[in-house]
Amino acid sequence: MKEPGIQTPPVPWWTAGILLGLVQVLAIGLATSLDVSNQFVVVDARTLEHAAPEYAQNHPLISDKERNKFGYASYVGIGLVLGAFLAALHLRMWKVQATSAWWRQNHDGPVLLRLIAGFCGGLCLLLGAGLAYGGITGQFSAGWAQLSLSAVPFTVAVFGSGMLVAYLVYPKTPAKGNRGL
Amino acid sequence: MAIPFVGLILGAIFGASLVLTGLTDPDRIIGSLRLKDFHALRTVIVSVLVATLGVWLLSLAGAAHLDIKPAAILTLLLGGAFVGIGIGLTGFSPTTGLACAASGRIDALVTVVGMFFGAHVYILIYPAVVPPLEKVLNFGQVTLPQATGASQIIWIAPVFAAGLVALVLTRRGGSGYSEPFDQAARLGASEGFVPAGGPAITTDGLDAVRVFRLWRNSLFVVMVLALVCLQVIFWLTNTGQVQISRDAVRVAASKPKALGMANADEPIVTEAQPSAPATLPTRGPALPRLLPFDLTFKHVTSVIHPVNAILMFACVLYALTGYIALSVSIRSRLGGLAHISRAFYFSLVALILLLPWQIVLAPIGLGTLYTPRELADSCTAVAGDTFETARFYLRFTGTWALVMLVLILAQWRSFRWTKTVLLKYDDAGRHTS
Repeated sequence: MKEPGIQTPPVPWWTAGILLGLVQVLAIGLATSLDVSNQFVVVDARTLEHAAPEYAQNHPLISDKERNKFGYASYVGIGLVLGAFLAALHLRMWKVQATSAWWRQNHDGPVLLRLIAGFCGGLCLLLGAGLAYGGITGQFSAGWAQLSLSAVPFTVAVFGSGMLVAYLVYPKTPAKGNRGL
Repeated sequence: MAIPFVGLILGAIFGASLVLTGLTDPDRIIGSLRLKDFHALRTVIVSVLVATLGVWLLSLAGAAHLDIKPAAILTLLLGGAFVGIGIGLTGFSPTTGLACAASGRIDALVTVVGMFFGAHVYILIYPAVVPPLEKVLNFGQVTLPQATGASQIIWIAPVFAAGLVALVLTRRGGSGYSEPFDQAARLGASEGFVPAGGPAITTDGLDAVRVFRLWRNSLFVVMVLALVCLQVIFWLTNTGQVQISRDAVRVAASKPKALGMANADEPIVTEAQPSAPATLPTRGPALPRLLPFDLTFKHVTSVIHPVNAILMFACVLYALTGYIALSVSIRSRLGGLAHISRAFYFSLVALILLLPWQIVLAPIGLGTLYTPRELADSCTAVAGDTFETARFYLRFTGTWALVMLVLILAQWRSFRWTKTVLLKYDDAGRHTS
């Protein structure tokens, strides 16, 4: 397992931004905006439909067939995993890591603690994305691209709580060399 | 078959782009949230700006497939807060979490498992929690241009301006990048740094600093008094302490309308309504009479115009003195550049916020200055929904509070500049003598 350290991205920030922005434009031009987080709910709903059909039948969310359709967004999710995997392999960035430089700087405990934090964070992420009709890609990025009113309160809440939690969980900054600046 | 194929290809490009751009590194995300490393933040800002511009062009060509989410404010705030907690804890968003897991990160893989549990919890709580929450402050699937009645380009301009300001503010990588500057400052101090122009230019510069201190302090006091005066007038009018006669208000104002539409050049339309009362009710809380004398809108009008003029001139002079003080500080090598440059920047922001943009950028471009007619129209309009009421108070009190805050920041920086410069050279003078 490799020691964590901040990698220098293959492209500078402005090229990266233009690239991601163009992908979103391409998606809105060809099909509809990118949104991956909702697919977790779709997969869970479909699983529950098979595991507990009676419960699913009376559930207002699971019984909404149109919402839980396996379609374009699901394929975006699958493509995302494949694309990221192939790009990481090609760029020699695929490596097994379980923690990060910021985490190591602030928490001396075992890696298990990082994994527990990851699990809890993941739970919060999807609970929030479900409530907010999308995550960073579906609500923030696509929302601002379409000048949606919903993007405004979402942005305020995400950055407000994100900065506060990051400040509480990661009070110490890693050494400059370790930050890859 | 076309849609799955398109989804798969777009997803693959998106996933590869996330790896290529470095957003799959949780340290970059945490660094941005801690304001220490702005790579991720700047990337996201540029991507949003490019996407906003691209989607606008697509809309013009009629080729955009928009998917507007409902603006249910309470659920969005709650959901956004949970997403923020998740990102702050892990350094992953749902999308980057998936991409990171595909790049070999075990912590991201565990986060993805947590996300499936999160989705499950969401499904379980959905019937009891979500539909009631969605009903609170739900404005429906609307865009910002639709909500304000403005064209799309009117909204794209401020989004771009905000993005560019954010890019300028984050051009240095937070406190992690400030070390060379601190080192240079320490080096200068330890080597007995002498200004290039010699002692004469420093003495002249110090005299200028004293003059500018007096001017800036006086202008600040004038601006604060003028701002307080404007705010008092607003509250007196809004709470019914000022009698607004019908001829002061356009008849069109009887319906709730977009704020900032009032144009000073528009003619007043009046209708004869003999049965109606002579004065109009206001939308604010009805308070008992607080003033021992009758205050008419004519009195208020005669105050607003000169106060607006004084405020505008004072603010322009305040920004100009900031600029000249900055020049003096640079030319005379007096130091305190960080303070005076910030003071100048804040003065400019205050000036921009003050200008009555509503005259050219209605209805979204609003300035703190208001005309008497705009005040009368807005205060006597029938109160609309919560959003409209919030806009009303944001327009008259929110922008005012913002300008006041920016001015206080400017003055505080100005004070720190004079203190730094004068204390430094007074001390130096005492030591050499």
